[in-house]
Amino acid sequence: MTKPVELPQGTLEMLILKAVSLGPLHGYGILLRIQQISGERLEILQGSFYTAVYRLERRGWIKGAWGHSENSRRARFYSLSTAGARQLKAETAKWTDMAAVVAGILNTKTDEV
Amino acid sequence: MNLLPSIRRLWHSIAPRTSSDVEEEFLSTLDAYQEDLVRKGYPDEEARRKARIDLGQVASQNEIYRAAAGLRLFDELGGDIRYGLRTLRKNLLFSAVAILSLALGIGANTAMFSLLDQVVLRLLPVSHPEQLVIVRETGNHYGNSFGADTISWPMFEDLRDNNRVFSGMFCRFPATVNMGYGARAAQIPAELVSGSYFPILGVGAALGRTIAPDDDAVPDSQSVVVLSYSFWRSYFDSDRTIVGRTVALNGHGMTVIGVAQSGFDGVELGVPAKVFVPIMMKTEMTPHSDGLKDRRRRLSWVTAYGRLKSGVSVEQAQLSLQPLLHGILEVEAQQPEFTRNTTAQDRELFLRNRVELLSGSENGLRSYMRRPLWLLVALTGAVLLLACANLANLLLARATARERELAVRLAIGAGRARIVRQLLVESLLLAGAGTILGLALAFLAARILLRIYLPADAAAEFVVSPIPDGRVLAFVVGLMFLTSLVFGLVPAFRGSRTEITLALKDRSSAVSAGSISLRRMMVGVQVALSLLLLFGAGLFVRTLRNLESLGPGFPTDHLLTFRVDPSLNGYSDEQTKSFYQRLDVNLKNMPGVASVGFSVMPILKGIAWQNAIVGKDFEGAPIEEQPVLNHVGPGYFATLGIPILAGRDFAAQDVGPRNWRHDTYAVINENFARQYFPGRNPIGQRFGLVDEMVPVSPQDIEVIGVIPDRKYRDLRETPPAQAYFPYFEDAHFRFMNIYLRTQADPHLIENELRERMRHFDPHVPIVGLQAVDEQIGFSLRTERLVASLSAVFGGLATLLAAIGLYGVLAYTVTRRTREFGLRVALGALQRDVVWLVMRDGLILIAAGLAVGVPLAFALSTLVRSQIFGLRPHDPVTLVSSTVALALVACLAGLIPALRASRVDPLQSLRNE
Repeated sequence: MTKPVELPQGTLEMLILKAVSLGPLHGYGILLRIQQISGERLEILQGSFYTAVYRLERRGWIKGAWGHSENSRRARFYSLSTAGARQLKAETAKWTDMAAVVAGILNTKTDEV
Repeated sequence: MNLLPSIRRLWHSIAPRTSSDVEEEFLSTLDAYQEDLVRKGYPDEEARRKARIDLGQVASQNEIYRAAAGLRLFDELGGDIRYGLRTLRKNLLFSAVAILSLALGIGANTAMFSLLDQVVLRLLPVSHPEQLVIVRETGNHYGNSFGADTISWPMFEDLRDNNRVFSGMFCRFPATVNMGYGARAAQIPAELVSGSYFPILGVGAALGRTIAPDDDAVPDSQSVVVLSYSFWRSYFDSDRTIVGRTVALNGHGMTVIGVAQSGFDGVELGVPAKVFVPIMMKTEMTPHSDGLKDRRRRLSWVTAYGRLKSGVSVEQAQLSLQPLLHGILEVEAQQPEFTRNTTAQDRELFLRNRVELLSGSENGLRSYMRRPLWLLVALTGAVLLLACANLANLLLARATARERELAVRLAIGAGRARIVRQLLVESLLLAGAGTILGLALAFLAARILLRIYLPADAAAEFVVSPIPDGRVLAFVVGLMFLTSLVFGLVPAFRGSRTEITLALKDRSSAVSAGSISLRRMMVGVQVALSLLLLFGAGLFVRTLRNLESLGPGFPTDHLLTFRVDPSLNGYSDEQTKSFYQRLDVNLKNMPGVASVGFSVMPILKGIAWQNAIVGKDFEGAPIEEQPVLNHVGPGYFATLGIPILAGRDFAAQDVGPRNWRHDTYAVINENFARQYFPGRNPIGQRFGLVDEMVPVSPQDIEVIGVIPDRKYRDLRETPPAQAYFPYFEDAHFRFMNIYLRTQADPHLIENELRERMRHFDPHVPIVGLQAVDEQIGFSLRTERLVASLSAVFGGLATLLAAIGLYGVLAYTVTRRTREFGLRVALGALQRDVVWLVMRDGLILIAAGLAVGVPLAFALSTLVRSQIFGLRPHDPVTLVSSTVALALVACLAGLIPALRASRVDPLQSLRNE
């Protein structure tokens, strides 16, 4: 089994945006998808998941609406709003840039300094 | 704007999702997860447990949601408010005292101030009212006058045509007229106005047009009338076709040309004019005095108004008008009507008369109410101050008592800011509740005050609103919030600085030394203020008692009065005379009536007919005040219960149409005899009247009787010199005041009397039917209001001061329990301990009194004019109010002192 990874602050929101960008999902669905994409390596702390969902909805990046899940249970489905899509794009770009820079620095050999 | 959607939007932005919505979503997630777990092989119960461990509790979900949505501040404030309410409810007595004292302070102040504002401070509802001034002449008058602010018609013309300071002048004269319209008749107040009245005031017409200068050019020519808006609505039912119709005023047909703009009821507050008539119609409107055609220059009857040119100050205008007036006076002083009855000395005095400009919004009601209203505003201001001191004291006391609670909250991690916020929320809750209650009180109080202050018919139409205007409201509410903030903040900051360890160890004495000295100061201030209020209350209550118990000097119970004026119905002199003669007989035969007296002038109504007299014995002697004169019927003195001291009363044969020829008789009072016939038997003495139209020579009037000195105009006066003539001696007959001494309660025959008068002459309305006791009661309404309010406030102030003192001493006792225990253990007696505590209280009381007594002395001279029958520094009132206050305060102090003396030494020391 692979080692669980702890999420840096603020990244959970980005992951939720990414998850719903592929299509409307209810809360548990988002959780499952994040787990699934990450290969079950992410540990999401109790309470922090819904805090992030609420905050995103409040900011208008995702929109919630009641509907029925695959086993016909009433559930609240979230989808990405236009503003949310813009945000996801910006965040993704920022993250990739930062990751590249950090990785570049960390990968530098001692004699290159 | 549609309010509902915006409110919904606002609400949505505060709380977009309901708690059940949030919980339902969370539950569905929980269930889905749980099912997955079961599918993976977890037993049911295990799956349930794990789901909740991994995802969280349903109950806390809403809180998480609100925190995430940024609603935490609201939630915490809500919590603060709930906590605050709970605390206030727990200390019900504290909250009640605080809220009530605030409500009282706010209520009394708002009510009094809005009354003062609307009655005394507010200007007329006309354009630029601050430019309007009343032009009056001050000094010795020498002639006939309809009031202190009036001048003669010729003088008005001279001023109007020659001044350089006014952009325009107008004048007015108030009159009472009988109006007939269709089958209805009513007696209404009318305003006779010059043609420039409406244009200069800037008052327009709601309907038709107002009186224009053209309407007022030629005497008797323009029979037109303008209705006031409120009268048009109430009496004519807002009939828009009224313009062009005819109404009868004093039997004279007048065409309605318009309705004045809404809200304008003439220039005299308290006596709203219902119709406006050109002053050129004076002869028709006041059938028995014709100031217009009567060109006498010393007959003052119009009130003259001017509008100052922009940039001209009142002082400049006064300076500019003075030489103009002087010129007019020099002309007047040479006319025979003046020279005939005056000496060179009189002339010199007369020429010193000055022009005085009053605010155009000034009027009789204002000048009458100004002092008492300011006095009451000052009283209520003191009450507000006391309420604030009391609130501060209470909050300080409570902050001290709560030091432990605050320390506990600090110890378990509450932030200091959070605690300050909590305490502030509590004091704002108090202030808010007090303010709301206070405004409700103010609304009620203002209505009641208006009812007391104005005659019933004026109050019904008087446009004083009990709702305070925005400025007053903002001021009062702002003041209260400021108070609660200041006095809430001090203890709040002190509380948040509490040294946790000290407070928890119950060594609070080490912590709050500062707050107790502040509280002692508050108590001192309360004692001083209470003394002021009690002393004032004593003065005013005793003034009222003096006025009531002294009375006018004759019995006023079982005495009924009313007024009639047949001449307004167009009755000739002969008809009027016959009316009165028949009425006299008719009323004497009425069952329940013991006797009937006729008098032209009413008594105890603040008015009098005054005229200069002449006689060979007192020629050239300086006279301080003209004597008061009256025409009365035989039986008048008997009806009022005034004995004849010497000579005789009028008899039926003295009554006859002699029109001021020889052998007119007079009954005088002792004061008259003292002033004009000193050291002589007044019976048989003769005098005459100074009158330019019908002079009565010094030989014409013979004194036939002497009555004792009785009050005439009001209860406060020293009886003036009075002379009475038989009532048929007047050249004309107009109104008559009729007095009936009844055998039973006068109220019982009021209705019967009305009915009888209707049978006697259905066309002549009777006006002002009233028991004289009631009339006197009404005339003392200001005194009664001041006395009762100051008594209530004084009592309340004492109570508040007592509570304050009790609070401080009780706190001291709690703090020093250990010390007292130790003292008792070491052999101190109970009374030693009592004395220890009482000494503390006595020092506070003494300090308060030391400030209060000189202050009371200084302030009481300011209300000298409101006091009757005692001096402003009345020692009895001062001593009694001081003693009463000291006693109550000592009692309040005794309670904690006795408690201290009962301290069980073992108990108190074990507490350590």
